[in-house]
Amino acid sequence: MNVEIQINNSPNANARFVTWAPAPCRIRITNPAGAQGQGSPPIRISARTSTNGGALVFRRGTTGAFATTLSLNVPVNGNWVSFFTAGQFGRPSVSLNDVQIQARHGNGNQVIGSTPCTVRIRKNANNLTPAERDRFIAAFAQLNNQGLGRFADFRDMHTNVSSPQAHGRPGFLPWHRAYLLDLERELQAIDPSVALHYWRFDRPSPNIFTREYLGESDNLGTVFFSGTNPLQFWVTDGVPGITRRPFFDTSQATGVRTEAQTLALGTTFTNFRTMEGNPHGNAHTSFGGSISSIGTAARDPLFFLLHCNVDRLWAKWQQQNNRFNPATAASFEEVAANPPGHRLADTMWPWNGITTPPRPPTAPGGTLAPSPVVAAPGLSPRVRDSLDFQGKVSAAACMGFDYDDVPFS
Amino acid sequence: MTTKKRSTKKRQPTKKAAAAKKSPAKRSPKAAFAVATNEKKTSAERAKAFVEAPLATIQSDETAQASLNVLRDREQPIKVRLAALQSLQAASFSVIEFEPYREDYLATLREIVDDKDEELRQRVLGILAREKDGYVQKRLLEGLQDSSKALVPPEKALQLLSYDVHAEAYPVAREIVNDPPSPEAKREALRLLSADANSAPVFEKLLRDKEEDRDVRQISAVALQTVKPKRFQEQARELVLDEKEYDDIQATALTGLAQFGDEKAVAKDQKLMKRAEELGKAKSAKVKKTAKRFLTRYGTEK
Amino acid sequence: MVELTEDSFREHVEQLASDPSQLLDLLRENHPLYDQRGAATVVRMRGWVMLTLARTTLTDDALPFVIEDLDTGVDAYLVAAAAAALRSYPTPGSAFAPFVVRAITNIRYRDERLSLETYGGFAIGTKGTSPVRELLTTLRWLGPHARVVVSEIESLQTGPTALSKKYHADIEQILKTIRAETGVEADDCCRLPDSVRDLFSWMRIPGTNSSSITSTIFEDQDGHTITFGDYFHRRPSIVVFFYTRCDNPLKCSLTITKLARIQKLLDSEGLSDQINTAGITYDPGFDLPERLQNYGRHRGIHFAPQHRLLRSQDGLDKLRKHFQLGVNFIESLVNRHRIELYLLDAKGQTAGYFGRIQWNEQDVVDRVKEILKENETPANNSASSRFRVASPFLGTAVALGLALFPKCPFCWAAYLSLFGIAGLESIPYSPWLQPVLAIMLLLNLTSVWFRSRATSRMIPFYLVTAGALTIIAAKAFAGPTAAGFIGVFLTLAGSVWSTLSTSSLNRRPMKEGMKKVPIDLIQE
Repeated sequence: MNVEIQINNSPNANARFVTWAPAPCRIRITNPAGAQGQGSPPIRISARTSTNGGALVFRRGTTGAFATTLSLNVPVNGNWVSFFTAGQFGRPSVSLNDVQIQARHGNGNQVIGSTPCTVRIRKNANNLTPAERDRFIAAFAQLNNQGLGRFADFRDMHTNVSSPQAHGRPGFLPWHRAYLLDLERELQAIDPSVALHYWRFDRPSPNIFTREYLGESDNLGTVFFSGTNPLQFWVTDGVPGITRRPFFDTSQATGVRTEAQTLALGTTFTNFRTMEGNPHGNAHTSFGGSISSIGTAARDPLFFLLHCNVDRLWAKWQQQNNRFNPATAASFEEVAANPPGHRLADTMWPWNGITTPPRPPTAPGGTLAPSPVVAAPGLSPRVRDSLDFQGKVSAAACMGFDYDDVPFS
Repeated sequence: MTTKKRSTKKRQPTKKAAAAKKSPAKRSPKAAFAVATNEKKTSAERAKAFVEAPLATIQSDETAQASLNVLRDREQPIKVRLAALQSLQAASFSVIEFEPYREDYLATLREIVDDKDEELRQRVLGILAREKDGYVQKRLLEGLQDSSKALVPPEKALQLLSYDVHAEAYPVAREIVNDPPSPEAKREALRLLSADANSAPVFEKLLRDKEEDRDVRQISAVALQTVKPKRFQEQARELVLDEKEYDDIQATALTGLAQFGDEKAVAKDQKLMKRAEELGKAKSAKVKKTAKRFLTRYGTEK
Repeated sequence: MVELTEDSFREHVEQLASDPSQLLDLLRENHPLYDQRGAATVVRMRGWVMLTLARTTLTDDALPFVIEDLDTGVDAYLVAAAAAALRSYPTPGSAFAPFVVRAITNIRYRDERLSLETYGGFAIGTKGTSPVRELLTTLRWLGPHARVVVSEIESLQTGPTALSKKYHADIEQILKTIRAETGVEADDCCRLPDSVRDLFSWMRIPGTNSSSITSTIFEDQDGHTITFGDYFHRRPSIVVFFYTRCDNPLKCSLTITKLARIQKLLDSEGLSDQINTAGITYDPGFDLPERLQNYGRHRGIHFAPQHRLLRSQDGLDKLRKHFQLGVNFIESLVNRHRIELYLLDAKGQTAGYFGRIQWNEQDVVDRVKEILKENETPANNSASSRFRVASPFLGTAVALGLALFPKCPFCWAAYLSLFGIAGLESIPYSPWLQPVLAIMLLLNLTSVWFRSRATSRMIPFYLVTAGALTIIAAKAFAGPTAAGFIGVFLTLAGSVWSTLSTSSLNRRPMKEGMKKVPIDLIQE
């Protein structure tokens, strides 16, 4: 007997990615040999993990507990049977397809079908394996492509002109979430094993500030890379190089507000979003150089890891306070008098393509990058589409990313 | 009348004070700001309070003015002034909320570009240079032309001027490349010149000069790839084939070829491919790594 | 370039303060004084020129530069200077209001303190003004003429896009003035003064010969090379200039984005194959093919054989000269440029120009369609040009015919035999020819009159009139005498002169401010 297993209900290899959130799967018998007359033989589904690789859990329906194995009755007529899988919290993948979903007939040992999978999770950038780190920076460098790549659009999305779209009002967190997701999907188009990792700025992250990674700064703030590091060819605004002068010892933490303090800012979004000042603003201004001014911050790749941590803090706050539902007042600060782009129903520039005032005059990058894994948040997301990133309120809202320390439930 | 003897027993802090000391972050932004602007507090306390709640600096016109007053007051402790600067700059990211205060903020920064504290000067100049401030560009250029007017060392001035490719720093950068006051100044001058397509011959020459500093050669490689990519690819090939070339430079060359090389042309280049295979077994870990990456791209390594 | 320090420049401007026309010349982007200056330096220089111009009454010629900086300026000093300069214009008008409000939108998040009293505008400390403040002052100057943008002004006071509170009192004053003065005659909304409007309009500039650049070699975004002649000499073209390192998002980035929209409009009208579009970079050394490709693609440009982004392989000098490009450089970097879009006819000759302020995509398409139509009717064109050439001689022949028309049949036979035209002795006397010739003479007279009106040169008409009257008088009183021949000569002279006047008008070189075809300026 043989079976076919599809992850995210797709035969495509580029859909074989999961996070902590349940991903719809399905299985069918493609060759019923040895099971004729059985109607719907039992098929046991489990995961096989490589060393230190990702791990998966399963469940039959949209509710209930996950387990490491699942038994399903699958008809010999070839009809699909659905089930769900998710990454086992705490066990993300370290490389592409390092976990396999395997199917066996009943209690047998023979594998009758398998599909590789990757538990693709945003991690603490300081803790990546050398291979993960190298793939990450290689994808970043290629996205930049010495100033010629799609990265130029991401740089152009975050300038002095566009900054009111995304700062100083409640849209700050939703906009940046969409922005990071857009960039991450572009990175994944280059190397699907990659996720956008975060810089945990309230903890020491000495590995990040090295020549093999995001560069080592001299006293002047010039960032140096090793000859092996493709980021040495980083170009923005037509100028090669990065300027970044840490005001702190990079083997230590920055001294900004800690995660615990940030999460304790309050249980309403209104209170929580003051984190835009500290730790967000303070993280930026822990340096001299491009990252410390809003108009030039996106010239430094570290900017994206900084914001990924900001987003992670928001995700964690949401998780702790159950703030995923836009209909819950405390999930967002809805004020009618806020400028466009800062209200739940507003579309977000540049993905909405609107270039008439008060929006900026051009909309670089076009629509938000689609994903082969999930449909959300759509090509032109609204502010409210950024909240339910794990699909807790509506599974269809799942945006296809998760953080290594923010569980699904 | 006898004076009551003061108790020698150490007073225990109140619960409230102890709690505040334990987690000062729990105090309100308003309370933190009050500490920040209270000259009776220590510099350390004030500085910490300032950075605790950046948005408090722009809570109102009064708090903004108070913060700017601290920043511009040269009699205030430098630690506190730097913290005020950091706080205001962090607040500036909240663009809409910061809008009313930007005018005063930039004017204050201009006021203190020549502050006696070097660190404050550098930070202030950096912020203004990133705004492409004409006043700061002018002061920096004056400093490069006349060292008695320099606000920062030449390498720093060049670095700050490079934020604006339209600044008129090219002639002085060329002079510094030819006659550098320091290796750092030469390096920054080259970085600045990488915006000028006409400087390609300079980069080519430096890239091939084995006597040159490694950092200079690396900058030249990147600059050449930016302004004359085909030429860089040709030079990179020569560097890889050169058996006497330094590991660092070969690694950079291989990285450049792996990232940006013409796939068809490179894959057909048997001499280069053979050399890359040799380097894939090199002693140098850097060279080995980049050679393997190169070979992965061009097909012979999986 | 003459080495001139900024201090010397400031003094030079002071010396020219009483000569607005010379000062105005200093606002040309391609003026040699701006060569090899940094962009920030150019801002200071231009701002000071503008402020000096504004010390006296601002003239119509200066308005384009002022309005340009309101429309697309992102430098605080220049925007403030433009706002202040506008207030020196003799009469406020409602057409200025949208530009002032637009400038507030552009500059509000780059507001900074500056001084309009000192060269360079640097303000240190608490004293000074700001671009937003100056713009609000200009709105106040506009008074009730700002009524056309009252809803935008109200949104600056309340609502999501309100300015900061420190400006609310000023805004309230402006609104009060608008609401109070209902008796003011509403000028034609959104139209600049007639004398100025045409300075911005699409200018029909036929006939700028492109032979000097026909052989200029371009490389496109795919690395293919093509000459100017090969690309531009087959069909009408829309050409914009840009460069990828432009840091004003309201200029090059928006220009190329809008060029992409023009492509879509052409496509929707089935004209993609009939009209070229091209973006030519000011920075050919840096804007190599891959850079052009990415820049265009990221802004929606559709690439095709007739739709390219180009860099000149021969450098920019010839193009600069031919198009009189409004650009200048610091090293190879642009330090300042204007928005410039050119319409070329099928011979690559400049046929139109949109400059300085934002152009409207549909307007551009409409204009290029007119050019296409003209180019598409070669038969008509040949016929009309043949007619233009032939008409003075036809008119003269008619005059001659009338002057010499015989009084009797015997004279008719004598003429014919005199001319020895075989067989013509047999053509009977046709007295009806005389009134026919007279009518044709009148028609010629009318034709010359129209051409004279069009060229504003009436002398040819006077000559032809005198000629006609002389012939008629000679016929009435004296027959074919010297007077008749004088009449013929006058008719010939006037007709030929009239034809030459029309041709020379078509060859007049492009000049800023040339009034041709006025259009509405506001493109909201």
